[in-house]
Amino acid sequence: MERRTYLRSLGVGSLAGIAGCLGDDLSPLGSDDSQTILDPPAEPRGDPSHPVHGEAFPSFSLQDPLAGETVSLDDFVGEKPFLMTYFFTACPDGACPALLLRLRRVQEDAAERGYEDDIALLAATFDPERDTPDVLEQYAAEQGVDLDAGNWNFLRPETDEEARDVINDEFGMRYERVDDPDDLDGDDASLDGGEGGHEDSTDHNDSDDGHDSDDGHDSDDSDDGHDDHDSDDDHDDHDSDDDHDDHDHGEYTFSHFNLVMLVNRDGIVERAYPSAVSDRDAVSIDTIVEDTRTVVTD
Amino acid sequence: MRRRELLAGLAGAGTVVAGGAIAVYGIPSTEEPEDAPDPITIETVDAPGSDAGEVTIPASDRATFIDIFGTWCPPCVEQMPALGEAYERVGDDVLFVSITNESVGDGRAITEDELVDWWAENDGNWTIGLDRRAELTERYLAGGYPSAVAIDATGTVQWSDSGVKTADELVAGIEQAIEASPGADS
Repeated sequence: MERRTYLRSLGVGSLAGIAGCLGDDLSPLGSDDSQTILDPPAEPRGDPSHPVHGEAFPSFSLQDPLAGETVSLDDFVGEKPFLMTYFFTACPDGACPALLLRLRRVQEDAAERGYEDDIALLAATFDPERDTPDVLEQYAAEQGVDLDAGNWNFLRPETDEEARDVINDEFGMRYERVDDPDDLDGDDASLDGGEGGHEDSTDHNDSDDGHDSDDGHDSDDSDDGHDDHDSDDDHDDHDSDDDHDDHDHGEYTFSHFNLVMLVNRDGIVERAYPSAVSDRDAVSIDTIVEDTRTVVTD
Repeated sequence: MRRRELLAGLAGAGTVVAGGAIAVYGIPSTEEPEDAPDPITIETVDAPGSDAGEVTIPASDRATFIDIFGTWCPPCVEQMPALGEAYERVGDDVLFVSITNESVGDGRAITEDELVDWWAENDGNWTIGLDRRAELTERYLAGGYPSAVAIDATGTVQWSDSGVKTADELVAGIEQAIEASPGADS
């Protein structure tokens, strides 16, 4: 599908979801609060593409190439809660390190407080093409992840197609590959995941002046600073999925949600922290650590 | 002795405290306040005015000024001339660094060469650090890019703001941090 059409349809779809979603209270339709430890979140989430508070996390089975093991939802249901986030190593603006930082802080807190065996930290890449096992290993060291604690898994879909099927479709963690960063402008590139106001995406684009670090970049100027990174080949084809022939593999980027999921040991979502790198208490490191402690010790 | 009593005693004795004024953000102290966060050491880049190596932020022996930027950010380009002027005026008196959290390396968002080119094109002439883990960004970003952060030698932020600032604004903020640092002349 044409990328621009796809992106617009994501926006429309989520708006339609909002229209049908005003329930009697703040809980999203379909949530079952009896299965959660935490109360519903203060920020109403509407009906985004991914599961939210009270909903079941979809089953999955992904490889961790560093640990050399398959990691599945079944490993955790009945066993322990987990935190999951989604990144790519070529992230231009610190959003992905900021997401990983949240999981790392929980990892540190768990070690300090003795619950390191009762929580799992899962970091899934949606860019397996560049994020090879070697790259992930280097990235883990750069990011200060403790791989010896035994509670951290990097998850790597084997192919771009598997990444799309599992992360974008199954998890509803929307991301879109952008082959020509100059194509990004505010309207087209926004991935509005739902009402609640905060499901911003990181466009890895820029804005007029001193722009908001709320995932960075909500505006619509094209980015002069990326001129150097454009491949000089023609950009007539905007189909981002399968044309790698004329483009240097290192020069594409992604629009993506900045999402952290907290799932309890019944496999039910406690929190789907939206725009999780922006400067709001609801997604601060302290909040995520406290929520995790509550869910672990329940 | 409790700080209040100490202060009352000093005021009563007509003693000048830290140049005659109590710093806006708290009572100056020669000890590191217990809530000052641990310094963070990051990699620095071989670029004009910058050596490859490491830098620890914030410094403990003087004030620190951080410019948080990204090569993807046009306002950050606009900010460079004022930073250059501020560096000329007060750069010798503080630890003066620009940091970015973008993914730098081969096959990453930008290569180190591209970063250095950006720096040179924009007349950067001081230390650049790589905040790869976004820990300094998390702690100090003042709401957007670019952010300017002036920290005193005890690790307390004395001034910070985001958006494009003038050289005078930057220097004024930096001087607040210098003045709040122990051992500073008033």
